Amino acid sequence: MTETNPRDLFPGALEMMILESLRRQPAHGYALVQHIQQRSNNLLQVEEGSLYPALQRLLKSKLVKAEWGVSSTNRRVRTYQITASGMRHLEQQISSFERMFEGIALVLNPGKSPAS
Amino acid sequence: MNWIPNTFRRRKLYDDLSEEMRLHLEERTEQLMGEGMSREEAGRQARRAFGNRTLLEERSREVWQWPTLESILTDLRYALRQLRKSPGFSITVVLSLTLGLGANTTIFTFVNALLLRPPAVADAGRLGEVMERNAKASGIEAYLPLSYPGYALLRDHNRTFSGFAAFDGDPHPVSWSRDGAGLMVYGQLVSSNFFSVLGVEPALGRFFQPNNDQSGPDAPAVVISYSFWQRQLAADRSVIGRALKLNGSSYTVIGVAPPSFTGIILGARHDFWAPLAMTPTLIHDPDRMGSDTSSWLFGVGRLKPGVSRGQAQADLSVLTRSTRSSEPNAAVLDASVFPVQFVPSPFRGYVTAFTGLLMAAVGLVLLIACANAANLVLARAMTRRRELAVRAALGASRFRIVRQAFTESLLLSMIAGAGGLMLAYWSIPFLLNLTPASIPLFLEAPLDWRVFSFTLAASVLSGIVFGVVPALRSTRRDLLPALKDERQLAGPRRSRLRGSIVVAQITVCLVLLISAGLCVRSLLNARSIDPGFSTNNIAVAQLDPGSLGYTKSQDREFYRQLLERVRELPGVTSASLSDYLPLGTDRLVHGVHIDGFSPPPGLDHIPVQVASVAPDFFNTMGTPVLNGREFSSADIHPGSNGVIINQTMANHFWPGRNPVGQHFKDDDETVEIIGVVKTGKYRSLGEDPQDFMYRTLGSQSQEFLVVRCDAGEQATLDEIRKVIQTLDPNVVPMEMESISQYMALPLFAAHTTGLLLAVFGSVALLLATIGLSGVVSYTVSQRTNEIGVRMALGADRLDVVRLILKQGMRLTMIGVLCGLVLSFAATRVLSGLLYGIKPGDPATFAAVSLFLVAVAFLSCYVPARRAASIDPMKSLRAE
Repeated sequence: MTETNPRDLFPGALEMMILESLRRQPAHGYALVQHIQQRSNNLLQVEEGSLYPALQRLLKSKLVKAEWGVSSTNRRVRTYQITASGMRHLEQQISSFERMFEGIALVLNPGKSPAS
Repeated sequence: MNWIPNTFRRRKLYDDLSEEMRLHLEERTEQLMGEGMSREEAGRQARRAFGNRTLLEERSREVWQWPTLESILTDLRYALRQLRKSPGFSITVVLSLTLGLGANTTIFTFVNALLLRPPAVADAGRLGEVMERNAKASGIEAYLPLSYPGYALLRDHNRTFSGFAAFDGDPHPVSWSRDGAGLMVYGQLVSSNFFSVLGVEPALGRFFQPNNDQSGPDAPAVVISYSFWQRQLAADRSVIGRALKLNGSSYTVIGVAPPSFTGIILGARHDFWAPLAMTPTLIHDPDRMGSDTSSWLFGVGRLKPGVSRGQAQADLSVLTRSTRSSEPNAAVLDASVFPVQFVPSPFRGYVTAFTGLLMAAVGLVLLIACANAANLVLARAMTRRRELAVRAALGASRFRIVRQAFTESLLLSMIAGAGGLMLAYWSIPFLLNLTPASIPLFLEAPLDWRVFSFTLAASVLSGIVFGVVPALRSTRRDLLPALKDERQLAGPRRSRLRGSIVVAQITVCLVLLISAGLCVRSLLNARSIDPGFSTNNIAVAQLDPGSLGYTKSQDREFYRQLLERVRELPGVTSASLSDYLPLGTDRLVHGVHIDGFSPPPGLDHIPVQVASVAPDFFNTMGTPVLNGREFSSADIHPGSNGVIINQTMANHFWPGRNPVGQHFKDDDETVEIIGVVKTGKYRSLGEDPQDFMYRTLGSQSQEFLVVRCDAGEQATLDEIRKVIQTLDPNVVPMEMESISQYMALPLFAAHTTGLLLAVFGSVALLLATIGLSGVVSYTVSQRTNEIGVRMALGADRLDVVRLILKQGMRLTMIGVLCGLVLSFAATRVLSGLLYGIKPGDPATFAAVSLFLVAVAFLSCYVPARRAASIDPMKSLRAE
């Protein structure tokens, strides 16, 4: 059930990026895709649509909430907002991700210290 | 699991999602157009960047679902829709399987009733049923019930049972005088601790107070069965304390047994239970309780904690030998302790063999039905190739498609399973009616949880069996041709698979048909076996005025008047009495001494079966007197020493001599042969000729009245009933039937197997025919083009018919050959059931094979004719 795009991302990565983007500012789906692509310098090749199953999962576990509204460009949009529990979840995810990343980096580059 | 409220919110969630995705695509398209793309190209680019929308939408929806259950429900809904779309297919599959599952459920219900369900007692696993066993004898003959003194000894001196009860194995027909008229009811004599040892609680009132069973008739009490209370006493709660007049004496009803309790041995119907102490009063047999030679009681005990049946058996064996120490064969007698089951251990072998045979037959029918279903599903898979290819192209995984296919086959088999239960529900009462009316057999065959589980398991199993091959085949990734709707040209692999399924069907079908053929021929043989008496125009009634307390002289007077009046009835040509009817359940053996012959080893006399008959017996029964004469009224006097023997006995002991006038010793009495009668069948229709002799009627009270009549037997029986009524309204005949009804008992096994196998064989034939013609029709539809070409090139109709027939008949012949080989092996198991026919009877084998080939030919001929009527131009233009 919890499939993201298996070629590029590990499970939960997309959710984490969505939450991070939403922490900065509420956005609708299309804007989120744009944001993630720009921020990653288009390094992450994410199918745009795969955002939506991830958003539904976040909605279901009440980490984000959604509301229909009208955007600055006068489009009908469904805007997502991070919730308090979403914030907490994000903190945990980031710290555990950092630990994991540190570990991976140590294995891949045994000579260097990641902290330096 | 908050999926229930979610279900209501779901529509909105899904709508939001769709809308959101649509807007996303729209925004991307507009943006791309802003970068200078055409609308069309921008739309395509946007969709490419978005990914598989259908799949993503489904994934997003799944987030909200209770995943497993919901996707199963979705599959189920889809399956239902698919099945509704092709009702012909669905109905054929369901009907095929319903027949198969119905037959299995029906037979299993009997297996359950006879062998699986336990009697309704508390903790049946800790009970042991006790009989004596003679180590020298074999089979059922080795087991002997206990005498009362034997039981009392075991009860008082065993160290392994916490309670030890006894019951009479045979139900006693008892006349219940109700408002001056007699009604036949059945009672069982039980020890006073019977119910407490079994741990049964009364539905109403109380059970017997445990006592020493001997304390005499000071408290004549009975416990009545629940069904008797319901049927005959209108479930009146005030029945406790009321008196019932049974066999002339009054008994107080003290309790009602619970509805589930029908005794612990199958087959007997009990209307009431009376304590052993009432034996002399109830059945007017004053000597029985004291006799240590009359074996009539089954023991049943509750094992002490930690004691096994084996230990109990060792304990009781020591006691049994000590009681019989005075007898010469004491050393070979021991006690046998077996589980309390409706069919006790010594008899289970026969029941298991019989029901096992029927189970095997219905298993084969189900196999054929599954093959049929598999074949139909395979054929349909061809027409659904496009649909499956589309699903695969849309991203359905292999697993998902296989699961969908299984859902469909399981749905079909479940519907068929429900149908099978219904079929069983209707056919069981019909089958119960097959049991001969002459014995008070009371068989319950409830559809309980075991039957339901069996049918469920059988349904699931058949769903898997017929679904697995088509399901796996359906996922072969030949998407492109399927999408392009290319007709698969020859499809040799697929038709080879379907062909082998048909071969298997024909094989199994032939095995069943040959078995059925053998059983039917054996039944015809059995019917034509000469039992040594006439099997029509004889009315039979069994009477026992002694049970009402008649004295011996009253008995004699009753029978004298009865014979006198019956002989005067219109249409009656003769009437007589006998204490025995051939092919019944009883037999009596006397030891005789004949000059020049020594007894068989281990015996001090020659055993000969004997019956006592009144004058005119052979004339009435239609048994020819070959030499000498039959008994006349002049022979009926004390000290009469005339004896009539059968031809076999005459040939055996007086070969080449006239036996009439010869003397021999019957026990200590010297008797003179006055006649020789034709040898008949005495114990079973299949037996070899046996020695038999007849004495004149003594003073027994239980007799068979046999009446030869020209008029209808039923009318005569009614007249006889009236005569008995006028003589004594309380005398109730135990059996009143025509001789052909009486013959239902010895023919029962042959009749049932013949009938059931014939039914199963016909069902199998029907199913195999459907399968064969289905495959042939399918080939015709696949080869329409080819046939068109052939006809265009000059083939005539006959060639086409031949072409199609050749394929069908090739499958048939392979199937028949396999079937013949299998049948030779399979029919061996029938040998015990067959009369006058060998299991490998060549005539039956040949006739049945020819018949099957002929039917197969017909079922191929119809599609072949259709193929021949193909218009070549039309079929070619259709390309």
